[in-house]
Amino acid sequence: MKIQKLALLVTLVGICLLLLTLQTRGYGSAAGDLFAIVTTPIQTGLAKASRATFGLWATYLDWKNVRAENRRLREEVQQLRVQALRVSDTDVENRRLRRLLTLQERLPLTTLPGEIIAREWGGWIRSLTVNRGRGDNIPRLSAVISPDGLVGRIVDVRPGASIVQVLTDPASTVGAHVLRTRTTGIVEGDPRGTLRFKFMARDGASIQSGDVLVTAGQGGLFPRGIPIGTVRAIDNRGAALFHYAELTPAVDFARIDEVLLVTGDTQRDLTAYFPKDR
Amino acid sequence: MRGLLVLTVAGGSVAHATLTPLVSVRGVTPDLPLIMVSLLALRRGSEFGCLAGFVTGLLQDLAGGGLIGVQGLTKAVIGFGIGVAGSRLRVSQPLVQVPGLVMLTIAEGLARFALLQIFRFPAPFGELMMYVVIPQALFNGFVGAAVVLSLAGVQTLRARFEGEPS
Repeated sequence: MKIQKLALLVTLVGICLLLLTLQTRGYGSAAGDLFAIVTTPIQTGLAKASRATFGLWATYLDWKNVRAENRRLREEVQQLRVQALRVSDTDVENRRLRRLLTLQERLPLTTLPGEIIAREWGGWIRSLTVNRGRGDNIPRLSAVISPDGLVGRIVDVRPGASIVQVLTDPASTVGAHVLRTRTTGIVEGDPRGTLRFKFMARDGASIQSGDVLVTAGQGGLFPRGIPIGTVRAIDNRGAALFHYAELTPAVDFARIDEVLLVTGDTQRDLTAYFPKDR
Repeated sequence: MRGLLVLTVAGGSVAHATLTPLVSVRGVTPDLPLIMVSLLALRRGSEFGCLAGFVTGLLQDLAGGGLIGVQGLTKAVIGFGIGVAGSRLRVSQPLVQVPGLVMLTIAEGLARFALLQIFRFPAPFGELMMYVVIPQALFNGFVGAAVVLSLAGVQTLRARFEGEPS
């Protein structure tokens, strides 16, 4: 048995050596040709199959990568959007606060900045809650202003917060005059959330749409010259004693977030401290 | 079973030239027929190992376009040698088989180099060893380990299924 195995080995080695010898003497091409006839179609088929398989695999991997990349990019876009919103929000807030600070520094009044923490926006009452209260020594009926103009007055001081009656509150009245004509009258809140200017007909003949109204400063409650609004339309009531003008408020009460509370002397004319293009 | 083995040996050798480049790493490809011959020789003995090595090597020679008979000879000797060693030594452990495969690949490389020298096909020894034989030997070791472990796993599973009562 052992000899048989050895004989097999010797035979096979002998065949190989014979083949090698024949080839080195130039007789090897026939075997190669015969082999090629048999194996070439098999190799061609295998190559095609493997190429197809690997092509499919590569396509699958590409698709998987594209999908993963797509998901990653989507998440990135989402994050960037949130980031951009945050940045833009911070930027807007920064600008707003900067304007408020500039106004506070410029005004010849004692003021205290406050942040709006709540809004009451029903038809009956229109008020804002500011995060300044009894502890800040806020006097009742203090004027509340913003860089755009008059917001209203403090009507209730509580511990840690105060209630601001907004100009558009139906119970709000403020003495005002038209900057251009000096026509005096009263600015009243309207249940619809707008402002109207009530004035004597004999004085208001020349009021025009676009005229700016500022506080009159009479009564010592509000400093003089704080913008209130702009005339939008005039309601001419013929021979009636009082005429009315509809106003567009100088301040966007729905969007205001920070205000200044006037805590000190109010006997000053502030006309020069607010923008003139209103 | 024997038919399947013949098909594996012959088909594997022909497929080697086409398919192994697909699994090459930095231009180094494993010698799958050598791994196959070694494993078959361990399981089936020296006679089968010798024959399988001869056929496989010859087919590799023919497919590769080199001197026909070089690999036929080296693989036949290796198949025979492993068959003999398998019956005398404890070579069934993967920890023995893997370094064994590395050594075998190096031995086959040396034998091929010697045959090429004898039959006047000069080749630079140092470069061949450095860039072809040793990297391929290491690759063979890893692939061999994977194959051995896979076969062991298959055998365990088969034994479990066969042992289960129906």
